[in-house]
Amino acid sequence: MKIRKEAVWGWVLITPLTAGLTLWVAFPVGVAVVMSLFQWNMISTPKFIGLDNYLFMLFGDHLFWQSVYVMLLYTLTSVPLQLVLAFSLALLLNTRVKGMGIFRTIYYLPSLIPIMVSTALWMFLYNTQFGLFNLILESVGLPGLEWLKDPDLVIPSLVFMSLWSVGNIVVIFLAGLQSIPKELLEACAIDGGNAWHRLNHVIRPMMSPIIFYNLVMGIIGGLQTFTQPYVMTNGGPSNASLTYVLHLYKQAFQFSKMGYANALALMLLVVTMLISWVVFRSSKSWVHYEGDRS
Amino acid sequence: MKKGILFALSLLLAASWCATGVFADNIKLTYMYWGSPAEDAATKQALKDFEAANPGITVEPLFNPGTKAEFDAKLKAMSESDTLPDVGYFRPESVYEYAANGFFLDLTPFITKDGLKKDYLAQTFLTQNGKIIGAYTAAEAQVMYYNKKLLQDAGVPLPPTDYKKAWTWDEAVGYWTKLTVDKNGKHPNEAGFDPKKVVQFGVNHEVWSGMLYPAIWGNGGDVFSADGKQVLLDKPETIQAIQRLADLRLKNKVMSAPGSTEYQAQGSTDPKVLMQNGQLAFYISGAWELLDFSKMNFPLGVGALPIQKKPAQLYISGVNVVYKASKHPNEAWKLQKWMMTPDKTQALYSGGLWMPTKASWYTDKTDAAKWLANPAHPEGFKAAVVDSMAVAKSEPIFIKNYDQIWSEFINPELDKVWLGKQTAEVGLKAAAEKIRKAGILQGIW
Repeated sequence: MKIRKEAVWGWVLITPLTAGLTLWVAFPVGVAVVMSLFQWNMISTPKFIGLDNYLFMLFGDHLFWQSVYVMLLYTLTSVPLQLVLAFSLALLLNTRVKGMGIFRTIYYLPSLIPIMVSTALWMFLYNTQFGLFNLILESVGLPGLEWLKDPDLVIPSLVFMSLWSVGNIVVIFLAGLQSIPKELLEACAIDGGNAWHRLNHVIRPMMSPIIFYNLVMGIIGGLQTFTQPYVMTNGGPSNASLTYVLHLYKQAFQFSKMGYANALALMLLVVTMLISWVVFRSSKSWVHYEGDRS
Repeated sequence: MKKGILFALSLLLAASWCATGVFADNIKLTYMYWGSPAEDAATKQALKDFEAANPGITVEPLFNPGTKAEFDAKLKAMSESDTLPDVGYFRPESVYEYAANGFFLDLTPFITKDGLKKDYLAQTFLTQNGKIIGAYTAAEAQVMYYNKKLLQDAGVPLPPTDYKKAWTWDEAVGYWTKLTVDKNGKHPNEAGFDPKKVVQFGVNHEVWSGMLYPAIWGNGGDVFSADGKQVLLDKPETIQAIQRLADLRLKNKVMSAPGSTEYQAQGSTDPKVLMQNGQLAFYISGAWELLDFSKMNFPLGVGALPIQKKPAQLYISGVNVVYKASKHPNEAWKLQKWMMTPDKTQALYSGGLWMPTKASWYTDKTDAAKWLANPAHPEGFKAAVVDSMAVAKSEPIFIKNYDQIWSEFINPELDKVWLGKQTAEVGLKAAAEKIRKAGILQGIW
């Protein structure tokens, strides 16, 4: 009888979430799958065109591969740099120094600023005529750069900007570092291991699940980059910062090609799943879980 | 406490009863628009005046700023929820597509009945399959502004104001060279000129899509054929006109920031401010800039656009439509007609934001004085701009996929041209080739 009651409560408690997920996630995804087979500008009757949207994506749309390239370029450069920087910062912030709380706050602070605001701020920093970066370059006698206006520089500029807000990742790493048992580090030290040995043979393996988590989240976030190029460059110059999701957004809302935009969205879902699967597969060889046999 | 709430509720109920009682016979219209704070204020005033002149009709202003994508999204949501406005502005790039899907009231009967057609500039009304689907909100054109003081200091003659006798392109470039000065006082055509340390630039020419047409047309080129079926981007005349604009910065070194089309406003100082500071002599942009200029304090002049081969001018503007969904089409038309009558919204014209669509305001002396005889409109404006509307052609927004062709095919190539990473010939040929291959140019709506 008691079990019965618990079961009822279980159902009651998960109903809001399940209903929400069904209504706001599963249903729209289902609609997206169907709409990706239609030609639809949102103001006329949708027209069924089979797989034409997908064929156009792969063979007709000259910006599809460009946006895939931009997406991968951004993700593959920003994610490793973010992880390395965040890990190094976490190591530094894990030391015992006076006023550590202040340092931790300072490094976390940028993550609290809304992305629109930080993006607007960086547009000032990157400004060609009166931006801080060009002022610094010019003060040491170097020519200023067209940070966001040069097709070759725009992605590096966006990647550099993304490093500013690694605070979230740092906090997660920091929590991980603090949960490493002191005995292990002491044991390593007693056996004559130096700092490098501790880092490479104790900290890195112990941290690997957390690195893995941040890697996966970073990749998914990187693949979906939208706000920064939307606000700063609108994909320009010359489509050099046209990320995949920005391309999708323009198809849907600027050019009213809703059917095609849905096809693009589903393709992103598939690609994200594929990449995640590869990363998960690879994790077996480098991620160590406590109590794991390997 | 409970009593208080009850009292408030009954008061609210009573108020709503009163409201329905008082306004029961009222016709309520909505008017959707966007624009600067000045435009917002002037529009609200015009709507109030309309209400005063038409008892029984109230108009709710719907101020709706944002990008084209945001506007489109909002409009689609309104359409789905049956809350479309009655009358309002519409994004010119998508007006024909929406018209083809039956969004707008056919204005032909109203215009015929009121005998309006001949009263307005020929370009004003937008037609599709013989039906009038809307009207340009205003008439706008390209204007060459200059800071008089900088020209006088440099001994450069003021440009002619007669649009048919303007400077040739080479003459203009010559004067712009004279007006470009580096910190050592050298000009771009002198040895030792340092392009990195320029204190005063000769010119800034806007290069977003609309602003390119006068130069292209004036050189005998074009972007698309009139039937919207052929790309003419790679015509030698078009290529030459574009290369000349790119050369202003790359070769002649008389222009400052590369005017990258997609995000020009975001990366550089407003050219109007540079002019006010004495750092820029000439600025070629739209007629609406007058509104901002009128609030600045320097001797502003207006000259005729330099002539490539023949005088050319652009007619560009937002569009006004009456929605088919309107429950009160007659009153909606009344409101639209009111907004099209420049006497009713005079502040928008005399302030410099708009040029009127009404023909007599160009030809009739009294009417012309209503918007031109004020400090916001410099002396040469009539001859250089107003008269040049005689040769103005509309931006070809009636071509299918117009916005997408510019955004996805032409502007990305032009970005590289303005930056000097490729010549206009290479860029425009590549763009034309891609447009043909994609088959995206599909005629007119």
